[in-house]
Amino acid sequence: MIVGKREAWTGRVFLVLLMAFTIVPFISLFVTALHPSGSYPSGLEWPSEPRWGNFADAFRAAHMGDLLWSSTLIVLGVVPVSLVLATMAGFALGHLRMAGRHLVFLMFVLGLTLPFEGIITPLYYLVRDMGLLNTRWAIILPLIGLFMPFAVYWMRAHFINLPDDLSEAAQLDGANVWQLFWRVHVPLAAPAISSLAILLFLWTWNQFLLAIVLVDDPAKRTMAGALGAFQGQWGTDIPLLCAGSLLILAPTLIVFLIFQRRFVSALLQGSVKG
Amino acid sequence: MTSPSTGPKPGPGPAGAPGRGRRPGLRPGAPAGLRTRWWVGWAFAAPALAAYAVFVLWPMVLTAQYSLYQWNGIGPSTWVGLDNYGRVFTDPELLDTILNAIRLIVFFSVIPVLLGLAIAATIRRIAASRLAVVARTVVFVPQVIPLVAAGITWSWLLSSDGLVNQLLSAIGLGGVTRAWLGDLSTALPAVGVIGAWVQLGLCTLLLLAGMSRIDPALYEAARLDGAGPLREFFSVTVPSLRQEIGVCVTVTVISALASFDIIYISTQGGPGNSTMVPGLEIFYQAFSDREIGVASALAVVLMALVLLCVLPVQRLTRERP
Amino acid sequence: MTRSISRREAALGFLAIAGTLAVGCGGPGGGGSRPSGTSPSPSAAPTIGTEPVTLKAYFETGFPLARALTDEFTRQFPNVTWDIREDQFAVITQNAPRVLADDPPDLMRLPQVSELVGDGLLLNLDGYAEVFGWSDWPPSQLEQLRVGEGGRPRGEGSLYAMGLNFSMTGVFYNRTLAERIGMAAPPATLAEFDDLLASAKAAGIVPIVQFNGGATGGFAFPLQNLMAAYGAAGPINDWIFQKPGVTIDTPSNLAAVRHLQEWIEAGYFDADANAMEYAQMMSTFMAGDALLMFNGDWESGNLDGEMPGEVGFFLMPPAEEGGPVATMSAPLTYGISANAAHPDEAAFFLDWAATDERAREIVVEVGGSHPMGLPDAHMPDVAEDSVTGQTLAAGARIAEDDGAMDFIANATGSVYAKGWTPQLQRLFAGDQDPDGLLAAVQSEYEIEAGS
Repeated sequence: MIVGKREAWTGRVFLVLLMAFTIVPFISLFVTALHPSGSYPSGLEWPSEPRWGNFADAFRAAHMGDLLWSSTLIVLGVVPVSLVLATMAGFALGHLRMAGRHLVFLMFVLGLTLPFEGIITPLYYLVRDMGLLNTRWAIILPLIGLFMPFAVYWMRAHFINLPDDLSEAAQLDGANVWQLFWRVHVPLAAPAISSLAILLFLWTWNQFLLAIVLVDDPAKRTMAGALGAFQGQWGTDIPLLCAGSLLILAPTLIVFLIFQRRFVSALLQGSVKG
Repeated sequence: MTSPSTGPKPGPGPAGAPGRGRRPGLRPGAPAGLRTRWWVGWAFAAPALAAYAVFVLWPMVLTAQYSLYQWNGIGPSTWVGLDNYGRVFTDPELLDTILNAIRLIVFFSVIPVLLGLAIAATIRRIAASRLAVVARTVVFVPQVIPLVAAGITWSWLLSSDGLVNQLLSAIGLGGVTRAWLGDLSTALPAVGVIGAWVQLGLCTLLLLAGMSRIDPALYEAARLDGAGPLREFFSVTVPSLRQEIGVCVTVTVISALASFDIIYISTQGGPGNSTMVPGLEIFYQAFSDREIGVASALAVVLMALVLLCVLPVQRLTRERP
Repeated sequence: MTRSISRREAALGFLAIAGTLAVGCGGPGGGGSRPSGTSPSPSAAPTIGTEPVTLKAYFETGFPLARALTDEFTRQFPNVTWDIREDQFAVITQNAPRVLADDPPDLMRLPQVSELVGDGLLLNLDGYAEVFGWSDWPPSQLEQLRVGEGGRPRGEGSLYAMGLNFSMTGVFYNRTLAERIGMAAPPATLAEFDDLLASAKAAGIVPIVQFNGGATGGFAFPLQNLMAAYGAAGPINDWIFQKPGVTIDTPSNLAAVRHLQEWIEAGYFDADANAMEYAQMMSTFMAGDALLMFNGDWESGNLDGEMPGEVGFFLMPPAEEGGPVATMSAPLTYGISANAAHPDEAAFFLDWAATDERAREIVVEVGGSHPMGLPDAHMPDVAEDSVTGQTLAAGARIAEDDGAMDFIANATGSVYAKGWTPQLQRLFAGDQDPDGLLAAVQSEYEIEAGS
């Protein structure tokens, strides 16, 4: 289709404006991070002597090494287990279609719109009574449960579109359901599973509410929770806070830029799917 | 698919889900997909169900139970029936949180969807250009970073010495500059702007993706009818995007009603409770004021409110089979 | 077809949940109630010993005194190490009940203690007071830390917390700016104080920089000073201590709020007050951008270091010349969790901070405030015209006039966050009038304090 010149130019202008609107806040954050620690710089103002050392200070003050390790452990605790559980359940609901599947599915759907704040109070007492408060398990276990509605929904949508002939053929070869699942269906579901993995990684890494309620020690929290603690402690020192925020942002940004294609399509599908 | 505080958001969600994607006719009347024993499917679903039941369903039941008691989280509790709900609906402090959440919908949902529609329509024709590919990555960044970080960044931008005021002064609007998050009349809209910033990119891209699926013949037909760009937009684009719009609205409305991270970081509900929302109030009531019952009643109301807002949207925008 | 099934099943699901709920036993939390007000009764003063021990502490960010003391403590007792968590005060206030109950620190910076005591979260220190001899100290030092059975009233009863020092508030002024507007001596009456503000305003100087943003309404400082100028300190203290039948909504307090409102309307405060955090106020004042700041002597050491010779301090003047002065003065409150792992060591530390010579020097030099303990205990030499010297002298004057009040923000656990702060922010924004402010605060107070 031929695009009108004028139309193309307005399009470009809008795009650039949209990008500027997105990026400028980060630039402001960056420039502010270079001002002397403890000062109140104004808006976008390049400092006379950029203090690159602020990043090193923030790295130390935020215990970035510990935080990265902690978030990684939490992600490793949440994501693989969630994927396995959700894939199995999605397989059962979408492909095995056992009796009573509508009720089960409906129970999961019930959780799709649940705001986490709705159950944070009982979760606190539940986790406390399990003796898990202030451990990473306090974030990991509830998150697995909380991710189930979406994850099962997502995997069911994959399996329900799968033709049955496939399984029928494999079954004739004498494979039992367990083998069938792992040898045939999981490999076939790889794209759906990997997109789900990306989404779950992101939501775990950025989880805030559970982290601040269930874990006091920032070194055992998720990145977002740790950033909350960093603000709670250093919020009064604007340049240091900006430097720390950028450092804490960096890992997700880097992962995002590396896997950006998958990310964008996963996020878009994540919204539309279902 | 954005707000980490509330986790996964559904797509077209509950009502649209059952049966969608199933191919009618493929297996007419077949109740089960495979010839297996009846319990095999349940065995596969059981671990997920168990995790979900223990950490979501059971806490939901507990929330409802707590909401009927007065309890400080430590000592014994007293049965108070529906009194806590009475407080939620009569205490202006609690009721205002719900109203604030509803006001936030304007910023988290209405503005990003409308603006997203306008932007997507404008850049539709160059959606395949290199610039647009770069833009796809850039405008997604707010979706990827923690909302806490968005809150910190914007708190700084909107402060009295921040960039927003700097820009306003630069264009001769020095008279309106203020500490946006610290002013009773502007704090809620300012928090809303942060939400709009987070949601705009997602909405734009979702709608753009939807537009690329619209049959070009529809546009040509409209042009042949002599439709200008505006009429084309309203008679072709918007109706064809019903489902995408539904998704955007659902996701963003939930993020408005369940907002927590941004407000916790940027205003803590102030000044003067003007930005207090249910999520934050639940947190304060439960963990600072130790009013577990009131917190739980508000939590039940919040969960109901989300359903109440989302279900009609689903109904209106669902694809008719 | 599918949908009708789903609906029926949905109804069944909800019924099942509702059923569980209805059947589901009694209320939450019935069984495990803690013994409230456990009090260790040591027969002799505990010592630190030589076994390695790690004390868990929760401190307030931005105030280096606590850490300076713990460092010195570890120097003197190398077997003691510290596991310290820090947060801003507003965060500590939010977290206090939860942390004390479920993640108990040995030593913690405390917000208002009434509810914490009522919930049995704090260790009763009477036994330690006995063996360490705290009972011999001037009773006024510990008065605010005593709480009656079940959490009220405060000001009498058992001891539930200790101070690292007792601090005092007043007005700091920038000497250069004061000279420029011809202030020869600190104002002696409220009217002179008003004149001072007016001349600063006329000279284009911001008269007062005061934080009032976020979760902390700093206008409570000038307000309470005004209350004490218009009325007696006693009834304000009674209200703070939750004595029965006392209200904050009195004619003299109303006059004080009106006076504050006049200051606001005259533009005497920095225009961004409602968005200003504490640290931003400090930074503005230290940059020389405002004449006055209502604050406490915990900043004396800091100001002596950052602006030597530049800063003066005075107490809020009374309405009539020569009248009694009163101001907020409170121990920097630290307590021990009822479930602490090392209560003896924590109590030893609190005693050490008041009795060890080096510790007392640190309290004055780093903290800027007067140490706890016996009146004739060791004091370091302080230059008289330093800020620290001036605040210590003002402290003596307050003791003379018996003018120490606790802070109105400390009346109940949440009267600050849910009463004073939002109401003062609304007053500054012109969205609340003085009558409404006091009525709203009083009603918030009654929710918690009962009436």
